[in-house]
Amino acid sequence: MTPKNNIVIGIIIALLVVASYNVDANPVEFVEGLPNLAIVIEEMLVVEPKYIPTAIWAMFETIQMAFIGTVVGVAIALPLSMLAARNLNNKYVYAPIRALLAAIRTFPSILWAILFVIMVGLGPFAGVLAIIMYTIGFVAKLQYEAIETIDSDPMDAVSSIGVSKWQLIRYVVIPESASHLLSQMLYMFDYNVRQTSILGLVGAGGIGFYIINYIKFFEYGKAAVFMLIVLITVLIIDWVSVKIRDKYIIKSQHGMEVATQ
Amino acid sequence: MKQIQMTKNSSFSLISTKKIIQMNDVWTSYDSKNFALEGINMSIDRGTNYAIVGQSGSGKSTLLKLLNGMMIPSKGTIKVDYVTPNMNDKKFKKMMHTIGYIPQSLGLIKNVTVIENILIGALPRLNKIQSMFKKFPENEIKEAKRILKLVGLSGKENRKAYMLSGGEKRRVAIARALMQKPTILLADEIVSELDHVTAREIMDLIADAQKRMNLTAIMVHHDMQLALEYANRVAVIKDGQKILEIGVEGDTIVDFQTGNMTTEEIKEMYANDSQK
Ligand SMILES: Nc1ncnc2c1ncn2[C@@H]1O[C@H](COP(=O)(O)OP(=O)(O)O)[C@@H](O)[C@H]1O
Ligand SMILES: [Mg+2]
Repeated sequence: MTPKNNIVIGIIIALLVVASYNVDANPVEFVEGLPNLAIVIEEMLVVEPKYIPTAIWAMFETIQMAFIGTVVGVAIALPLSMLAARNLNNKYVYAPIRALLAAIRTFPSILWAILFVIMVGLGPFAGVLAIIMYTIGFVAKLQYEAIETIDSDPMDAVSSIGVSKWQLIRYVVIPESASHLLSQMLYMFDYNVRQTSILGLVGAGGIGFYIINYIKFFEYGKAAVFMLIVLITVLIIDWVSVKIRDKYIIKSQHGMEVATQ
Repeated sequence: MKQIQMTKNSSFSLISTKKIIQMNDVWTSYDSKNFALEGINMSIDRGTNYAIVGQSGSGKSTLLKLLNGMMIPSKGTIKVDYVTPNMNDKKFKKMMHTIGYIPQSLGLIKNVTVIENILIGALPRLNKIQSMFKKFPENEIKEAKRILKLVGLSGKENRKAYMLSGGEKRRVAIARALMQKPTILLADEIVSELDHVTAREIMDLIADAQKRMNLTAIMVHHDMQLALEYANRVAVIKDGQKILEIGVEGDTIVDFQTGNMTTEEIKEMYANDSQK
């Protein structure tokens, strides 16, 4: 441990104490509140099976919202990422696009949802729009970063053939960053299912709408059914995307390693 | 070669079409402090197999990047087929497809098949919209297959590029360049990392293509032996300067700076040089 490290650790601890004080974070209150959790869990255990079909249907709606949001979001993010990549554009193109994407990213999805509920009214459509915005902001960033890390040699070699910029994108940029894109789509869908599950809190459709309403009326047993379905769905999606990643992405990335030898 | 010699003393227009590359006192640098090339003069006849030899860091790759317009000189003039190379210039852009460039690392698209890598060479002459859908005309696919056979890769067209051996990758890179129907081929140390047998196979392949297509080949080599064996002109670059330029004809070597020398003497000179 160098003295410099000690100072850094000291500063972090000091900040932690000050911040905890400012947000009223009190460990004693947490311990005293534990019995309340026990009550909630006890009530949740009285699962009401007759709500399972409704819960599955609500989950299905949530997945569809996340799906549309991911696909449309990625479709819009892709061209934006091409415009935001520094190795494909001059600064008058990429700088404003990057600023726009940064602005989109400053909003969490729940704030987008509130905005769209105001714009288009309550319901899943507002949620879909929120997911689209969130996906654009993140996938475009991840993708332009992936494009900027593309090996410059194929880019140079193909540019020097005298191809058009669109041909360069089609024949070099997309194939060289495709595995990243697939990986990002899977990750984003996974993440969007979870996000969409809570957008109902502000009335933007999906399964969260049911959960928040049951909780409001202290019907924890019913809420539990819906939460359980969310949990199972997220686990399944996680498992499936790991499988897809193993099958398509790891393999092609391994190929890249072989190629650079 | 015969034709070129015949034009030596004939009319002015014929003499002028002979020179495909001309560099006049070319200086260039990557940063403001050091020059990567210092006062290079170079004049290359159409159809020549021109070799550039030199130690690592001497400026060989930089020289090729000047010829394909990826870099522009800070001083001096370059003409490639009477056009100043600059990839941001409209006039040069139009002739870029006539220059096949194979970088040291080849620049293949790894996750794409061999045939598709080769077809990339045809892109400048294809319909821009159709090419967005990877729709290639029948005749181009035929041509790609013909070149595939020429470079000895028949049957491997659907292999992904990353699955190929080092020698096969070089064949794909050559095929992509030939697919351009080039008049000039620039190749940067493409046989340096290969074993002797494979290196010669690749060099024979290029020599053969050169004859068929009347190509001017400018190849960077690490190995003087290989350069003397295949080239009819060899330039030696050291610390950004051309220190020697020799013409090879059979066993005799014509040095344009120090008079006539034998192959052995040149090799010896180069060997001493690289020991320092
Ligand atoms: N991208 C670059 N940025 C800065 N300096 C470079 C770059 N590429 C090459 N150089 C420098 O220019 C000189 C010539 O390099 P290069 O043409 O690659 O040599 P060679 O191909 O003969 O090995 C070297 O000193 C090298 O360090
Ligand atoms: Mg080099």
